[in-house]
Amino acid sequence: MTTAMTETRHGGTGGHAAVAARARKVVKAYGSGETRVVALDDVDVDIMRGQFTAIMGPSGSGKSTLMHCLAGLDTVTSGQIHLDDTEITGLKDKKLTRLRRDRIGFIFQAFNLLPTLNALENITLPMDIAGRKPDAQWLNRVVETVGLAGRLKHRPTELSGGQQQRVAVARALAARPEIIFGDEPTGNLDSRAGAEVLGFLRRSVDELGQTIVMVTHDPVAASYADRVIFLADGRIVDEMHAPTADQVLDRMKDFDARGRTS
Amino acid sequence: MSNTVLKTSRRNFVAHKGRMVLSAVAVLLSVAFVCGTLVFTDTMNTTFDKLFAVTNSDVTVSPKAAESGDEAPDRGKPEMLAGPAVEQVRKAQGVKSAEGGVVSMAVTVVNARNENMGSTTGAPTIAGNWSDNELKSMKITSGQAPRGPTEVMVDADTAKKHGLKLGDELRTIAVTGDTRARITGIATFTVTNPGAAVVYFDTPTAQQALLGAADSFTHINVTAADGVSDEQLKANIASAVGADTYKLQTAKEAADANRKDVGAFLDVMKYVMLGFAGIAFLVGIFLIFNTFSMLVAQRTREIGLMRAIGADSGQVLKSVVVEAFLLGVVGSVLGVGAGVGLAVGLMALMGQMGMQLSTDDLTIAWTTPVVGVVLGVVVTVISAFVPARRAGKVSPMAALRESGTPGDKKAGRVRAALGLVLTAVGGVALYLAAAAEKAAAGSLWLGLGVVLSLVGFIVIGPLLAAGVVRVLSGVVLRPFGSVGRLAERNALRNPRRTGATAAALMIGLALVACLSVVGSSMVASATDELDKSVGADYIVASESRQPVLPQAEQALRATPGLDHVTAYREVKVTLTAPDGTSEETGLGATDPTYAKDIRRKMIAGEHAAAYGAGSMSVGSLYATKHHIKLGDEMTVAFTGGNTVRLKVAAITSDEGNIDKGMNYISTETAWANVPADRLPLPFMLLATAKDGQSDAAAYQSVKAALAEYPQYVVRNQADYKQALKDQVGQLLNMVYGLLGLAIIVAVLGVVNTLALSVVERTREIGLMRAIGLSRRQLRRMIRLESVVIALFGALLGLGLGMGWGATAQQLLALEGLKVLEIPWPTITGVFAGSAFVGLFAALVPAFRAGRMNVLNAIASE
Repeated sequence: MTTAMTETRHGGTGGHAAVAARARKVVKAYGSGETRVVALDDVDVDIMRGQFTAIMGPSGSGKSTLMHCLAGLDTVTSGQIHLDDTEITGLKDKKLTRLRRDRIGFIFQAFNLLPTLNALENITLPMDIAGRKPDAQWLNRVVETVGLAGRLKHRPTELSGGQQQRVAVARALAARPEIIFGDEPTGNLDSRAGAEVLGFLRRSVDELGQTIVMVTHDPVAASYADRVIFLADGRIVDEMHAPTADQVLDRMKDFDARGRTS
Repeated sequence: MSNTVLKTSRRNFVAHKGRMVLSAVAVLLSVAFVCGTLVFTDTMNTTFDKLFAVTNSDVTVSPKAAESGDEAPDRGKPEMLAGPAVEQVRKAQGVKSAEGGVVSMAVTVVNARNENMGSTTGAPTIAGNWSDNELKSMKITSGQAPRGPTEVMVDADTAKKHGLKLGDELRTIAVTGDTRARITGIATFTVTNPGAAVVYFDTPTAQQALLGAADSFTHINVTAADGVSDEQLKANIASAVGADTYKLQTAKEAADANRKDVGAFLDVMKYVMLGFAGIAFLVGIFLIFNTFSMLVAQRTREIGLMRAIGADSGQVLKSVVVEAFLLGVVGSVLGVGAGVGLAVGLMALMGQMGMQLSTDDLTIAWTTPVVGVVLGVVVTVISAFVPARRAGKVSPMAALRESGTPGDKKAGRVRAALGLVLTAVGGVALYLAAAAEKAAAGSLWLGLGVVLSLVGFIVIGPLLAAGVVRVLSGVVLRPFGSVGRLAERNALRNPRRTGATAAALMIGLALVACLSVVGSSMVASATDELDKSVGADYIVASESRQPVLPQAEQALRATPGLDHVTAYREVKVTLTAPDGTSEETGLGATDPTYAKDIRRKMIAGEHAAAYGAGSMSVGSLYATKHHIKLGDEMTVAFTGGNTVRLKVAAITSDEGNIDKGMNYISTETAWANVPADRLPLPFMLLATAKDGQSDAAAYQSVKAALAEYPQYVVRNQADYKQALKDQVGQLLNMVYGLLGLAIIVAVLGVVNTLALSVVERTREIGLMRAIGLSRRQLRRMIRLESVVIALFGALLGLGLGMGWGATAQQLLALEGLKVLEIPWPTITGVFAGSAFVGLFAALVPAFRAGRMNVLNAIASE
């Protein structure tokens, strides 16, 4: 299976040239004067449509901040972010919320699901909030893809951690967003459950043409991506295409070494 | 270690003070109500004590038969002493001065526009002679003391209230006739006068105007010579004039007697208000219980950690209890302060209504703050005890578990069984109450049923929540789509919490529903009875319990267009039945036309037959008790008159409430057996228009005839019913006002639950916002949850209360409350209103939830 994945992954790269999201000269700073901390320092990045992009970097490198800004969860200090043709920097909360609802999918590290809703209700929640009817065929396909058919009536507390994350993946996919953001989506899972979830993300890119951006610090997780972007001290310092876990690990070790010497 | 426990408690208390605020407010309000009541009633007592301390002379000599208290004598004239008695008393040993006094409360004072100058709060109008004794409590602040038959002095409060000035004319209406006099002086009380309107004449004028007799007095004010005690003086007077000739009271005895009259009323007021404070406390318990339950739930991991590093469960329990103790102390201490403020506010309110109280008399007994703080702390600690015990039971493993607060899924079979049993037993008790044959036994069942069904509902509330909230949501939240569904799920998430929050509201609304059912049944029953039995067109009576004076009766009788006027007196008699038992009672002495005015249901004979010479009627209750048949002879000893034998010519049914148990004789019979000057005045007149007379015109002319006597109110049947309704409505409004406190505390409870829930669900809210829930939708979700909880509480409360009310009506049917009337407009209004209460309660929590930063919310623990 791993082999097959690797092959399709390579096939997927470069096929789409269109940019799903782009950041230009993005600066995110906290505080001012002496206490000013720069989380993102003049970042330019393009997220390619139909690609699985991983953002990596040591703690405090700004990787989560970058994702939050790209996803419209956080505001930038300066610079522009576009989602497709829409500039989201400067949008008011109301429009941003609608944008997140209609065009973006989220998978968080933990606490992805509302405990009061069952799996199916959680999956359709963004559409319910929007007052839209889910496309039944698509929904079935998503549910089948993530292998949850038997558990749709279960409440989150009745599901394992891996199953919960799969529900979250299904929710992100179900609304057919332009782009899905994952914030360490496998951070809380053991390696087997993590591999399962990452496999689904990979397949959704390959089979469904989904665009995914994922923040992670796990080289194995990053190896599922088409492209890895490395951040350090708020800047993009490197990127890697069609990475393997070992390559990523080496690159990260390099950071560690430099971090210790500097 | 215990130091550490204290430290954690204190730090937790300080750290979570925001979450404690509403609980503290609940304690504060309840304590404030208790302390406010105590301070207010103590202040009233002080006011009256001070008043009575100065208004009574060292020894007061009054006629043996003198009435005590504020009642206007039913003859329209107080008991009198002959003038020479003053001289007699003056000669007793140790007397410094003896001064004849005249005072009457059977008066009405009106201004030139025929407006009553009297108090509207039930305080009396007092007319008397201006004497040295008066100078102890009053001083003339304008003009001079009255001299001669055309001069009068009035108290400053009354003058101010009605805009009276020197030179204005006042008409004093007494049984002896009207006295017109100009104001020559205004006297101000040097102590607080709670509201009586007072006018003074010089002694001869007072004697003539109030008693209709020169050289007569109602009492003698005696002052002791130096070194003679009041008791000694009283003994001296007794030996000088004879111990049994007069009623002798020292200043202390007189004050005690005065105080007893007022005290009974004040006590009733005090206990009623404390009762409502108790209800507020009861409701507050739910709020505090919920707060601590939620704090403990939120802190589960922290407590688990403490347990893991070695704190035993007793220490954990203690730390929560200490926190509750701190909350109780803070809330209660603030509450005591607020209570004093509340008392001052109440005094100002009384002032608005015409009852003057001065803050100079503000009395805070040392027991007041002690009672307030002890009560507040004890209630708080008790309320927090169950959550504290739950905290103690948290296992050290909790520290390791994933955070998040699992819902309390199994609310428990034990709870269900207990709740059902309590409710069922309560239901049976209510059924027994409704079916009871005897009022006394029935009210016991009623009390038991109310308490058990209330407790049962509280216990079972969390279980009912699941079903009822679902149904309510199906109806109310359907139009709101997925946001409505989220709200429903949130309300159902923790049934115990929802149950406790709703229970608080339930208690207040159950009482509202019960009382409104009883109140409207009272009005409906009385109206029904009036419709069935009252034939008279107009009813004339005084609102201030003044008897109907002859001049007013004549004015009415002289009104054209009236078919007849019936005077209704009550004469005091000792009634002896053929079986030899006798009792002191009143007989209704009326004109024979009364049989047309009031259609009494008869057991035997005709009503009119009671008015024949030598005849009377008895009520069926009395007749049954003493086995009296038509034709039996009763022995009637008229108080102060003859003893005669009267034949029972009719037996009236005592089913209804109008004149229940009344025995009738004719006015003629009363006249024949009671000396003219002892015969009481009528307390009510009934008038009926001639046939063919337009009602409006006749009503108008009857009103016009009595325009000069504003102490009497003329009502036709429609107005009478309306007045009855207003009276009940006013009473209910007062009760609702007092229950308002409990409802406010309950609303605070809803706010509290929502606010803490929002904090608890921070991450969830962040998640929902991230995946696209708009601020508006989020706020709506919280508001809808609040509405559902409020409606749930209202539904239970109103249902329970209507059940109680209907039971009470069934029980009171024995006392004449025959008609059950459910006030649907009130009930549906309260139900709809509670939806608004829910909206209102959610304002702040919803606003705060909407303001949350999405990223922080997601990241929060």
